Amino acid sequence: MKGFDLRRHWKGFLLFMAVAGPGIITSNVDNDAGGIATYSMAGSHFGYHLLWSLIPIMVALVIIQEMSARMGVVTGKGLSDLIRERFGVKVTVYVLMGVVLTNFGNVIAEFAGIASSLEIFHVSKYVSVPVGAILVWILVVKGTYRSVEKIFLYACLFYVTYIISGFLARPDWGEIGKSLVRPEFDFSSGRLGMIIGLVGTTIAPWMQFYLQASIVEKNVMTKDYKSSRLDVIFGSIIVTVVAGFIILTCAATLFKAGIRVETAADAALALKPLAGKYCSALFAFGLLNASLFAASILPLSTAFLVCEGLGWENGVNKKFSEAPQFYGLYSLLIFLGAGIILLPKIPLFSVMYVSQIVNGIVLPAILVFMLLLINNKKLMGEYANKRTYNIISWATVAVLTVLTVAYVVSLVT
Amino acid sequence: MMQEPDLKMFLFFSELQGRAVVDSEGRAVGKLADLKVLLGELFPRVTTLIVKKRHEKKLAALNWNDVECLNGSLVSLKPGAESRFTPLEVGNEEILLREDLLDKQVVDTYGAKIERANDVHLLIVNRDLRIVHVDFGVRGILRRLGWLKTIDRFTNWLFAFSLPDKIVSWKYVQPLASDPKKNLKLNVTTRKLQELHPSDIADIIEELDKANRSSVFKMLDLETAAETLQEVDPKLHLSLIETTSEEKISDILEEMDPDEATDILADLPEEKKQRLILTMEKPYRQTVEELLKFEEGTAGSIMTKDFIALRRDTTIGAAIEEFKKTTHPLETVAYIYITDEEKHPLGVITLRHLLLCDRQAVLGKLMNPHLIKVGCDDDLKTVAELFAKYKFIELPVVDKENALQGIITLQDIVKAMPEEL
Repeated sequence: MKGFDLRRHWKGFLLFMAVAGPGIITSNVDNDAGGIATYSMAGSHFGYHLLWSLIPIMVALVIIQEMSARMGVVTGKGLSDLIRERFGVKVTVYVLMGVVLTNFGNVIAEFAGIASSLEIFHVSKYVSVPVGAILVWILVVKGTYRSVEKIFLYACLFYVTYIISGFLARPDWGEIGKSLVRPEFDFSSGRLGMIIGLVGTTIAPWMQFYLQASIVEKNVMTKDYKSSRLDVIFGSIIVTVVAGFIILTCAATLFKAGIRVETAADAALALKPLAGKYCSALFAFGLLNASLFAASILPLSTAFLVCEGLGWENGVNKKFSEAPQFYGLYSLLIFLGAGIILLPKIPLFSVMYVSQIVNGIVLPAILVFMLLLINNKKLMGEYANKRTYNIISWATVAVLTVLTVAYVVSLVT
Repeated sequence: MMQEPDLKMFLFFSELQGRAVVDSEGRAVGKLADLKVLLGELFPRVTTLIVKKRHEKKLAALNWNDVECLNGSLVSLKPGAESRFTPLEVGNEEILLREDLLDKQVVDTYGAKIERANDVHLLIVNRDLRIVHVDFGVRGILRRLGWLKTIDRFTNWLFAFSLPDKIVSWKYVQPLASDPKKNLKLNVTTRKLQELHPSDIADIIEELDKANRSSVFKMLDLETAAETLQEVDPKLHLSLIETTSEEKISDILEEMDPDEATDILADLPEEKKQRLILTMEKPYRQTVEELLKFEEGTAGSIMTKDFIALRRDTTIGAAIEEFKKTTHPLETVAYIYITDEEKHPLGVITLRHLLLCDRQAVLGKLMNPHLIKVGCDDDLKTVAELFAKYKFIELPVVDKENALQGIITLQDIVKAMPEEL
């Protein structure tokens, strides 16, 4: 009897490994250059105080991503495909324009991350950025989906550097426990702004498109949906743990010493005298890995969703001549994104600013589209949202929308 | 314009959609929401006008004959048409332009690929409105966004160039049932798809999403379905088989050579496999069951039992008669084997012998006794190496008692080892 059970567990595990990937990859890419910068700021400005906010963020992340995964498994179509078929070409084109704009902003941020993390190791950006761009480009143009996914999964392992650097920083575990168990709900304007920033960097429009598309590409059968859900939950937990360790690293060192940093590279540099050169190097290496990783996924995901929505051929398994728009857009995003970083006087701040605002406008729209689609019985059948779950997800979307709008308003004013 | 019966005029569905519908007195009735089309004809006719009436939630249908004219930006109805509206119903041979065609994926059977319908090109001829083309191009998207004129003016001014049209005749457009429960069963409506080569159909199926995938697969006749199933990525076999009735699947499998059907069956879950085998006809079932006994990755699992074996005292004349009677596929009759009572292979003659040798000569004298054989349990790599070494187009397969069990053709081994290619 025992042997039988073991075999069943083993079978379940194998199935999970076959289906796993999209959720874990999506979540990890979420901890990209922009994310790490935000977590570093949160830690250095407010110490351990904001750690608690990661828990509700994780719950929201699971709820939103679970819906994307479910739609992907049940319909076998990508999100932009569904938006196009359900809401028509007009809505689709405007949504796609918004998503391309915000993703492009993120791509630029990733190349900025590559440049600044390697500058810590004394590599000039005029070397690191072009090499990074070409590396990323070749990976997808010359690879197949399976090989690319494998590389991405290995890249996820490197996030462990943040956990190690967290331990090297010798945080005060008692205080961390206290902040998680008895959180201080102090919503003074600075803290609220930071929380909104954390939400904004964690839940982004591209994730829903990427997650759903890669689940479709994996061709997960409806009966294996439970494994996909596990993948999403697992990914969301990983992303939260990594984010938590970044915050506590900065809290234990920079916040204690009263150093306030605004970027991830600053944080890595400031860590050196406080926590040792290994901690600093690991932190910088983590930033490099995250930026490279996200720089390969974001342009890919963008090219996918645009081509799918407009009915152009797409997919990394296609040749250049078969899918010119797909590879064209993909290449344009990478080389334009990298090119902007190489300009001597980059208006980086205003580029980020515009992209964040567009992001804030597009996200609520996409979340609402997702909820409308997932409640469509004709599309989802018995997998449409149940009543209770619907209330929770509408509430989550409402809160996210309010926070995002607040974020945009705070940026503009 | 419709007062003149001879007038021919092209227009796009996007230009009609949303137009105000007015009664004979010019009073507003509602807005044109959709058009219903009866499939079957080469250029199908719009039969019904679908109107979103004012103050009503549900769409209402009206026979196209009740349309008086398409006047400027209006659709005018005939007197009394107001009372002839009915609730919307869609039959099996009918599709709605907006609901089932616009923005949806369709198969372009001319280019053998999937496209997204950006607009539908209609023609008014003799008071009938018919579908003539489907727009797959950027112009279709721009037209619907309302940007086409501006962009045309801009590109003409700057580059003296207009974006090219990409419209395809309805002859080559195969719509797909968006609702998986609704089947476009009729031969008339699915014939276009059958004209494609099965490997093109397989490519198309691989590209489509789940619902459309099984709807395309269901449209195919048994023979095309069998060829398509062999061509399609084996990872999709299970989902295609699970969404089709078991009876139909076993009919499709019986269209294949037993070794190919076995290949497909071997990868299915045990329960499904057994049920499918049980629904098969008896002689076919026995062959499949025998083949299934061989482990995957061995010569036995890919061999076919379609071969000709004769005794050594048979004359060439008798062999030719035997050859005429056989119905095996061409690629499996390159050689004729000579065996004894225990089915032990003794030698082989080729088709060349049949053509060139004296009709009275006996096979035993002519045959080449140096046979290269494969064992049922040999792995595929060994088999492939033998093919490469001796440049044969087929090899005989024997069991442990050296009895001839089947043959492997070059085609079989090439198909079985795709990762080596």
